[in-house]
Amino acid sequence: MSETQPTNVNDKMSSLMKEAECLKFKLEEERQKLNDVSLSSIAERLEQIAFVNIKPRKVLKGHQAKVLCTDWSPDKRHIISSSQDGRLIIWDAFTTNKEHAVTMPTTWIMACAYAPSGNYVACGGLDNKVTVYPITSDEEMAVKKRTVGTHTSYMSCCIYPNSDQQILTGSGDSTCALWDVESGQLLQSFHGHSGDVMAIDLAPNETGNTFVSGSCDRMAFIWDMRSGQVVQSFEGHQSDVNSVKFHPSGDAIATGSDDSSCRLFDMRADREVAVFSKESIIFGVNSVDFSVSGRLLFAGYNDYTVNLWDTLKSERICLLYGHENKVSCVQVSPDGTALSTGSWDYTIRVWA
Amino acid sequence: MMAANIQQQRIINEQLRREAEIPRIRVSETCRIMMKYMADHANDDCLLNGFPSQNLNPFREKSSCSVL
Repeated sequence: MSETQPTNVNDKMSSLMKEAECLKFKLEEERQKLNDVSLSSIAERLEQIAFVNIKPRKVLKGHQAKVLCTDWSPDKRHIISSSQDGRLIIWDAFTTNKEHAVTMPTTWIMACAYAPSGNYVACGGLDNKVTVYPITSDEEMAVKKRTVGTHTSYMSCCIYPNSDQQILTGSGDSTCALWDVESGQLLQSFHGHSGDVMAIDLAPNETGNTFVSGSCDRMAFIWDMRSGQVVQSFEGHQSDVNSVKFHPSGDAIATGSDDSSCRLFDMRADREVAVFSKESIIFGVNSVDFSVSGRLLFAGYNDYTVNLWDTLKSERICLLYGHENKVSCVQVSPDGTALSTGSWDYTIRVWA
Repeated sequence: MMAANIQQQRIINEQLRREAEIPRIRVSETCRIMMKYMADHANDDCLLNGFPSQNLNPFREKSSCSVL
């Protein structure tokens, strides 16, 4: 018995591996069948975007270390930022005033997110936890904070799907998790990635049951939040996927990677339809976001620049210079009027 | 350990089987739909087209005029 069992187990494993290879081959074949043209060739007849009038408007100074994450308030005016210095700051982006500052008992707050009501923020990082703060006075914020969930490694990203009642998190423990804010209960966990989860984003158009994740396993997964299962998986990147973002139409996702490229994956064609790269770009991409029409793709790089890409033509339109260190996060404001960028140079900039 | 690996591989295979069965659309068609979406929403895209008037830009520097 003890002699035959390992062989059986090995046989079983190798037949499963063989089946997986066949399935992958078939999947690629099916995808290839419908790959009749390229996006850039269809977009060829479109006029080029000749000029984009985006200027540096505000510099938000106050952090004492790297800015790691920012999020626009639903009011389109305030920005929350989190930093390596262990502080959360809420800014009035119109005036550049700091309205609130909270010090957490951890450094490297890698993620922060406004609740849909604008009354709470969720954040966390190297403490492995997601903590919720009500936005009131600074003293009250510290007293009324609540730990909602805990991962077994750092929390890299968080987002509120639909309401103030739930938080979705991604972690260095290679899972994502959906938490109930009130009870702190784990509602659903999402297993599938074989590397650290670096970024998540919510599908914009549906009933909030689909999200995308990007990971150091070089993959982007589309998940069904109710079943906890992977619906689609996209590969192509040669290194860590640091950022994922849904196209405003909800039918595609953009990714940014350490391989110094951004990519566009169409969900209905179930494949990559564009790559945004240049030979002269050799630094990694930390963060991507779309303008409200989805025509512009903003990407923040390790070479201190923000690149603007034409989503359709896969051409670079221009660069935004200003930051003096790596650009860690880029985000278009909810009404699409401005772009915020956070950097390891300790500042956040607003472009409009 | 080995049993856990087999269980893990089973889950991966199930996922691949599910993925193989999803309906797909031609790239030419999805791209046309995407282009239409962008064209339909271009007018709302201030980062793409700018503001109709700079006065509407809430982030512009206020001109330094004083209240009389």
